[in-house]
Amino acid sequence: MRGMQIWEITSFTIATAAFATLLMLPPGLLLAWLLARGRFHGRLLVDTAVSLPLVMPPVATGLVLLFLVAPRGPLGRLLTEAGVDIVFTWKAVVLAMAVMGLPLFVRTVRAGIEQVDRRYEAAAATLGAGPLRVFFTVTLPLSRPAVLAGAVLGFARALGEFGATVMIAGSIPGSTRTLAVAIYSFAETGRDTDAALLVGVSAAIAFVALALANWISSRPGVRA
Amino acid sequence: MIVVDFRLSQGSFTLDIRVRLDRPITALFGPSGAGKTTVLDAIAGLRTPLAGAIAIGGRSLFDSDAGINLPPHHRHVGYVAQDVALFPHMSVRRNVLYGRREGQKLLLSTVANMLEIETLLDRNVPQLSGGERQRVALARALMSAPEVLLLDEPLAAVDVERRRRILPYLERVRDELRVPIVYVTHDRGEASQLADEVVVLAAGRIVEREGPQPDASGNGDAA
Amino acid sequence: MRWIAVAVVVFTVAFAPVAGQEPLTVSAAISLTNALEAIAAAYAEAGGGPIRFNFAGSNVLARQLVNGAPADLFVSADAAQMDVVAQAGVIEPGSRVDLLGNRLAVIARGGAASAPIRRLEDLLRPEVKRIALGDPSAVPAGVYAREYLKAAGVWAPLESKVVPVANVRAALTVVENGSADAAIVYETDAALSTGATTAFIVSGPHAPRIIYPAAMVARSRQPEAARRFLSFLRGSAASAIFRRFGFTPLATTP
Repeated sequence: MRGMQIWEITSFTIATAAFATLLMLPPGLLLAWLLARGRFHGRLLVDTAVSLPLVMPPVATGLVLLFLVAPRGPLGRLLTEAGVDIVFTWKAVVLAMAVMGLPLFVRTVRAGIEQVDRRYEAAAATLGAGPLRVFFTVTLPLSRPAVLAGAVLGFARALGEFGATVMIAGSIPGSTRTLAVAIYSFAETGRDTDAALLVGVSAAIAFVALALANWISSRPGVRA
Repeated sequence: MIVVDFRLSQGSFTLDIRVRLDRPITALFGPSGAGKTTVLDAIAGLRTPLAGAIAIGGRSLFDSDAGINLPPHHRHVGYVAQDVALFPHMSVRRNVLYGRREGQKLLLSTVANMLEIETLLDRNVPQLSGGERQRVALARALMSAPEVLLLDEPLAAVDVERRRRILPYLERVRDELRVPIVYVTHDRGEASQLADEVVVLAAGRIVEREGPQPDASGNGDAA
Repeated sequence: MRWIAVAVVVFTVAFAPVAGQEPLTVSAAISLTNALEAIAAAYAEAGGGPIRFNFAGSNVLARQLVNGAPADLFVSADAAQMDVVAQAGVIEPGSRVDLLGNRLAVIARGGAASAPIRRLEDLLRPEVKRIALGDPSAVPAGVYAREYLKAAGVWAPLESKVVPVANVRAALTVVENGSADAAIVYETDAALSTGATTAFIVSGPHAPRIIYPAAMVARSRQPEAARRFLSFLRGSAASAIFRRFGFTPLATTP
């Protein structure tokens, strides 16, 4: 395996994981906020549903996703009509990564939001700020360390995602082969040296990601 | 004129308040646990009573019969809580301007001048002293041009010496901005000193009302 | 304390191999799943012992065997993977025999809106976007398929459409669930498919020669039982079952 191929696989993995992390942000922030501050019927249900990918075996989640977005599936049918292909493309990789990383992101951010003193939010409300403005100007800034930590966790999970990815994206050289999937494929087809090389790359990335996460959490944050 | 009439369940007892406040400064006095802060919370919309009605200047904020319950951000109530709650991640200036609405007439310079916080505007919240925080919180609440100002033990965190220095600011607010003030205290002396009327609360009920005659000192109805 | 001792004894007895009842472990190519399970039932009825199968892509099985996985018999879907284990000294060299033949088939989604696929050239059509193959770098079905496409001169234009999957049954599945438009599988797998239609069987000069070798595993702890089952696989009863599923028995003993 040439250096070029290693670079392609690595950059593809980092790019899809980064995209997946960005994709996690809007629904993740909303869910974290709803679960931390909301009082509504079915809150327990939402909490459980969001945590499912964390607890189910990844391949099981992958199978559920496949059922939903394969061309014959309930969502897949609509997507096909819109001319959008998900299964076996990079979009499937991003989808799997985002779905698997979301629960971790939501949990972390939710804990962060719950730590924010409600009196700040109450003060903002009496000053005329509606719930959305309170969230963006007070709650979110004050839970920023948690949001960052959650994003790093989500990103790390996305980087290492395998079970669901292989289910809906397969292992297509050049278009859906992430590091994890490539390692598995190479191991299964006897390319041990190539697999070992990629294991080394994964370890290096994990190291950098963890160091970054530690550095972020050690920075002086805002004492709320 | 502030009409407060509600029932609210508070731990071991029920708060049952029925009062009309029409003085420039009304003190709500009572021992700890009497429910004073809860009254302010109910007026501000931070707690919802079981039943009753709350209105300011004829505008209904809460009415259980009519199904009205305005959220806090629609009530135009200025609230300085006991712990002040200045936003730690914003400068003093941003804190004070937080509630300012587009095109309102009240200017930052007016309020900053009145409360003498011009030099503090570019500081950060952690750098302020207790007294300075009180004034900034007051300024912040005023900048939102509220129809009534609710203060919860505004002098509790300030030492006796400085208390005397803050009182004039409250008087300025009353005189120059003509915003009615309701403030909570457990200090009888403070209540009599500043307020035109003292409403005494005990175990969830109003037990006494006292105050000078309406036009004794020329302080007319500001509500 | 006594209860722990009792529990230990019970567990040991429960998990101890009972002589004469230990099943034979057969690692076999996944395309043989249905045929071999039928044959095992026939074997049991004929008085043979219980068989336990390990079905997967032959490349996966070969790696397992090379890494020490316990098995008594190995049936591979191509000679290449059997050579891998032979080179590692895993099999009993004298026992190796070419057991079966097979053919490739091209399958496509059932009820496709566009014109059906009838010949190889139809795979070049733009509406055929994805063709599933067992991973052509090692899975026998994929290796055979690539060999075929190369011999027919269409590998270059089709390579970008290829979706490599874990094994030939996976290729079947992705066509059935619509994720791929077509797949190249064995004729025997195509016959079993319910959601996909067989476009055509691969025959003619470019068709690869498909051989399923079988051999005894050297480290087997039941060589006699393994030998007996291998003989049964070559016998007339088993050959009839293989033929029923579409395989071509190559080493039938009279």
